[in-house]
Amino acid sequence: MALPKRIIKETERLVAEPVPGIQAVPHEDNLRYFDVAIHGPTQSPYEGGVFKLELFLPEDYPMTPPKIRFLTKIYHPNIDRLANWSPALQIRTILLSIQALLGAPNPDDPLANDVAQRWKEDEPGAIATAREWTKTHATP
Amino acid sequence: MEDNPHPPKRRRFFAQSSPSPPPEPSDPILHSTPQREIHSYAPPNDPSSDTTPFQEPDDDVHPKEQTEEIIEEEEEESEALDVQALGLRLDAVMLESFVGEKLSADILKRLDDISGGDLQRAINMYLDGSWQAAKPPVARPSAKQSPFNSLFDPNGKRKSSTNILQESSAGTPASDEEAVQRLDKMPTERYLGSFGCEGWATRSGRGLLSHGEEVFIERQQPQLVQKTVRRGKGKAVTVVPQAASKRKDVVVRFTNSKGEEIGRLAHETATFVSTLLDQKICSFKALCVYVPDVLRTNETIFLQLKCYMLRQTFNPRAIRLTDSNRSTGLFEAKETEEEKALRLRQTSLVKLFNEINLFPTTAGQDSKAKRDGLLQVAEMADEKEKEDAAKGGATPVKDEEEPQEGKELEQDQLDQLYKKAQTFDFNSPEAEPAETFAMSLRRYQKQALHWMLNKERDKKNEDQEESMHPLWEEYTWPVKDENDKELPVVESQEKFYVNPYSGELSLKFPVQEQNCLGGILADEMGLGKTIEMLSLVHSNRNEPEAASASDSRTFNLPRLPKNSDTVEPAPYTTLVVAPMSLLSQWQTEAEAASKPGTLKTMIYYGADKSLDLRAQCSAANAHNAPNVIITSYGVVLSEFTQIANTASGARGTSGGLFSVQFFRIILDEAHNIKNRQSKTAKACYELDAVHRWVLTGTPIVNRLEDLFSLVRFLRVEPWSNFSFWRTFITVPFESKDFLRALDVVQTVLEPLVMRRTKDMKQPDGTPLVFLPPKTIILEEIELSKAERAVYDFIYTYVKQSFTQNMEAGSVMKSYTTIFAQILRLRQSCCHPTLVRKKLIVDDEVEAEAAEAETRGLTDNMDLQALIDKFTSQENEGEFNNYNAHVLQQIKEEAENECPICSDEPIEEMTVTACFHMACKKCLLSLIEYAKNKGEKARCFSCREPINEKELYEVVKHEKEDLGGLSAFKENVPEFSLRRLAANKSSAKIDALITNLKRLRREHPGMKSVVFSQFTSFISLIEPALARERIQFLRFDGGMSQQQRSVVLNKFKAHNGGMVLLISLKAGGVGLNLTEAKRVFMMDPWWSFAVESQAIDRIHRMGQTDEVIVHRFITKGTVEERMVHKIQERKKFIASSLGMMSAEEKRAQRIEDINDLLG
Repeated sequence: MALPKRIIKETERLVAEPVPGIQAVPHEDNLRYFDVAIHGPTQSPYEGGVFKLELFLPEDYPMTPPKIRFLTKIYHPNIDRLANWSPALQIRTILLSIQALLGAPNPDDPLANDVAQRWKEDEPGAIATAREWTKTHATP
Repeated sequence: MEDNPHPPKRRRFFAQSSPSPPPEPSDPILHSTPQREIHSYAPPNDPSSDTTPFQEPDDDVHPKEQTEEIIEEEEEESEALDVQALGLRLDAVMLESFVGEKLSADILKRLDDISGGDLQRAINMYLDGSWQAAKPPVARPSAKQSPFNSLFDPNGKRKSSTNILQESSAGTPASDEEAVQRLDKMPTERYLGSFGCEGWATRSGRGLLSHGEEVFIERQQPQLVQKTVRRGKGKAVTVVPQAASKRKDVVVRFTNSKGEEIGRLAHETATFVSTLLDQKICSFKALCVYVPDVLRTNETIFLQLKCYMLRQTFNPRAIRLTDSNRSTGLFEAKETEEEKALRLRQTSLVKLFNEINLFPTTAGQDSKAKRDGLLQVAEMADEKEKEDAAKGGATPVKDEEEPQEGKELEQDQLDQLYKKAQTFDFNSPEAEPAETFAMSLRRYQKQALHWMLNKERDKKNEDQEESMHPLWEEYTWPVKDENDKELPVVESQEKFYVNPYSGELSLKFPVQEQNCLGGILADEMGLGKTIEMLSLVHSNRNEPEAASASDSRTFNLPRLPKNSDTVEPAPYTTLVVAPMSLLSQWQTEAEAASKPGTLKTMIYYGADKSLDLRAQCSAANAHNAPNVIITSYGVVLSEFTQIANTASGARGTSGGLFSVQFFRIILDEAHNIKNRQSKTAKACYELDAVHRWVLTGTPIVNRLEDLFSLVRFLRVEPWSNFSFWRTFITVPFESKDFLRALDVVQTVLEPLVMRRTKDMKQPDGTPLVFLPPKTIILEEIELSKAERAVYDFIYTYVKQSFTQNMEAGSVMKSYTTIFAQILRLRQSCCHPTLVRKKLIVDDEVEAEAAEAETRGLTDNMDLQALIDKFTSQENEGEFNNYNAHVLQQIKEEAENECPICSDEPIEEMTVTACFHMACKKCLLSLIEYAKNKGEKARCFSCREPINEKELYEVVKHEKEDLGGLSAFKENVPEFSLRRLAANKSSAKIDALITNLKRLRREHPGMKSVVFSQFTSFISLIEPALARERIQFLRFDGGMSQQQRSVVLNKFKAHNGGMVLLISLKAGGVGLNLTEAKRVFMMDPWWSFAVESQAIDRIHRMGQTDEVIVHRFITKGTVEERMVHKIQERKKFIASSLGMMSAEEKRAQRIEDINDLLG
């Protein structure tokens, strides 16, 4: 199946104008599959870490959102499904919002319930764990 | 061998090759045979002549005249003893006793001469008086007599008269002189070979026949035996009793040397021997090989039959195939007597040759297979005869239908066929066109011209050897007899020729003759057949000054002398018959190809045909006579019908096409006459001309009979006789003997056809024609929901109905219904409203029936509701309620990319109620996607709810559009918005519009052609194009000739983009539309060849750019199956071109429909 023009264009642009702190490289044998690396935002518990993700564009993308999964272990309350998708969003925008989410965890809209709980009850402790995990798992 | 009284197998126990010929029954002719022991000859009247094995072997000799003694001589000619003073071969006493009067010596001599020594004949001739009229042939000098004669005249007694040729008295035309001379050289009969056979005794007794005794083979032909003979004293005349059955009388009797009937030949042998005797092809002599001492009725007697070919058989005048082409009567009639005689003759000859082990020295093909095939054909005919007899003629229809049911050719067969015709020699000579021809020809076109000129002038290519007529076989006369003795040599006659198909024999080398001064120009489409033909028109024409002494010859021979009025020659005029849509194109091209003033053309159509062509084209009017008259098949047919309906059937009265003999006729797109039973074909056959040409890219459309019709038109003998064709091509083909049938067809085609294909490569590797590339894109279109509902509904209905019919076995009966339903189904793929149109302007023949048949369907409430649902949003007015700000914004963003598919600029820009823009298809699919997930569709940008009804399409009015059509000349804004729902046409129309708009954007000014089979669909496309301000023209079958040419000229002349909507049938053939570069096929036809031909209107010589073809197919519908199943299956069967007969069409369609509904 031919690759839709939109995916080609997005890929070209990701290469041509990369987002600072984000790399997204499509697989050679499957251009719908991307290896993504997001650098932890400064001033966050994830600073210094490089988080690997995989991103896959389903058949009916952009009508359906891309599927994204963290490959690197991360301690975060809402590494979560991407609600509110719209076909006008793009790979770039979705990665940016993930990066932003790393900088501003939101325990009120949790996915990982235990993490969110701890974040609410013991924020410094949670942040420390996050930092520690980053050091252990996300530091190259 | 002779020790065994009953050889187990009778065949060829004395075959020529037999290493040890049995000594006893040696041939009486060969006096030198060492084994010979008995030399005495007993007078025939002596009943005790048991010991007389030899008898003079004269032809048809009667025992009564055997009064001479055979002299023991080693040298055949050493003794020339004339017993009778006159040297007569006849027994004068006998003769006189028969006729009952005394005859003068003069008369006797004369009778002897003219009867060739045949007593019976002499008697008959005398009694019926014909002897007086018959001129005694000139006896050739006996000094130089061929030694061959002695073969029949061992005693040399009748040298002086043996080679009198009886039938030479009939007189021979000068042209046959050579043949006659050749014939004269031949002895009256010549030994051909011998074979063993069996006979049955019909009487019993002792000593009736003995070993080695000569036996006479008798055959009574009821109608030829005159009563006088039988009335005669007849004691010794071997007239056998009249056979009981006239029809199946094959009884061949034999007598002993005394003339006593002994028995009859075994049936198997008798069947062919009887025919050979009856038709005076051969004479037979026989020797008794084995006979029991005491003979009892029904006992087996073994004979060796020696066959002599009669000279008269080789007389070219003796045999004539029927040359009347009784095209109409033929199919009703059973096989005629004549045809039956011919068939018997063929089979008998073949069987004889098989028996005597004679094989052709040269033949076109494996003679064994050929013979078997011939016999098979004959057997089939026999079978059929029996069948028919059994049915008591209750099935006259069958005969009529049968020829039509010719099988379709498989692709490989068709390939094989064309292969031969396509072995084009790239080094064949070229001819330069005449000065007056204004175009330059390509090399292969000059070669075609050379070929055509030769055809018209009937010149053989000098470098080509005379080739033997492919249907003939060459045989060598045996040089040794059955006992391996040398036979006398006949000077310069070592060979003879047999046509096993017609049973004709000849001593002359049968040259493959070219007697038709025309042919079939079958170059593939786009190679310039028209131009090639026009170059011929220029290069071979009668000049008024040289008012054709040569041509008057032909004109003096009107082929069909009709009553009082004659057919006038039109020596300067070429008649072109073409489909109506091509008339003006022919004229344009004819004029373009001629230097000004060198060619007068005239379209003979409609009002223009009030002229009297006889006056107009006559030789007297040389300077004003049109050089080219162009007319349509329809005109030919209507004039033909007119003449046929007049009481006299006189050609001349109308002053029309049939009242003149043209110099040349050209049938363009000649597959129009492929059905020989169609009236159009019959009408064309009757057109008169010196030169006859047909142009067609597909000489064989899908059955061999297609070719027949062309051959029939060309009047190529003998193939133009359908019974001949049927016997040698149709029947073998239908009996699965494809190879042979195709072989024959090839030999028919080869000299007649010139065919080159576009993909042929010249020796240097360059293609024959360079054409820019062509890309075909199959666009699969998704039906909208509403469309799908309509389609599914009809599909279920049709399928049910078809299944019921299949189960009830009434498919053929309710063919019209089924076909009409399928038609509806196909139409519903194009546009749902087509289904309920009450008035259908449709090319489909069945449209009217379809209308009636589907009325029930369309009146159905459910379907009505579905269609209403589809159309509910139609007819809403345009929505132009946006304020200037929005329009401004749109204008600014017009070049942006679509946020959904990233295309830029946005294709068919569509705006939501919340003013967000995207492609139309993206927005629609977004809404569709949400719907499928059961969610509410939201704007991709602001997440406001959106729905289909509140989408607005941005219509951009490009400046180019404003020039052409007056309707749009008013001051329109640069952009306007239209509610999308109002624009809803059909998935296919949408796809077309999308493509056309893209084309306008990417290649402004590019012209395109849109084909559809349904003119009603075209009528729906028109408003859609108008809405989009796309300029278009329409060309369909309902238009007059004049309208058509106006449209075509407009399309060509228009400067800028233009879409031509053409109905597939009206414009699928012939037109030249190279101005266009894009083709859209709106609906698939049953066979792709038809579509392909339509595409070739654009992708043909003269095309300068790449051609892109879009074929629209709706997904998951019958169209898909048409393309993937049916077209695939038929891919290689050359197109049907929609010109099949009704029956052909039906049978084929049922099969197709079965596939369609799966």
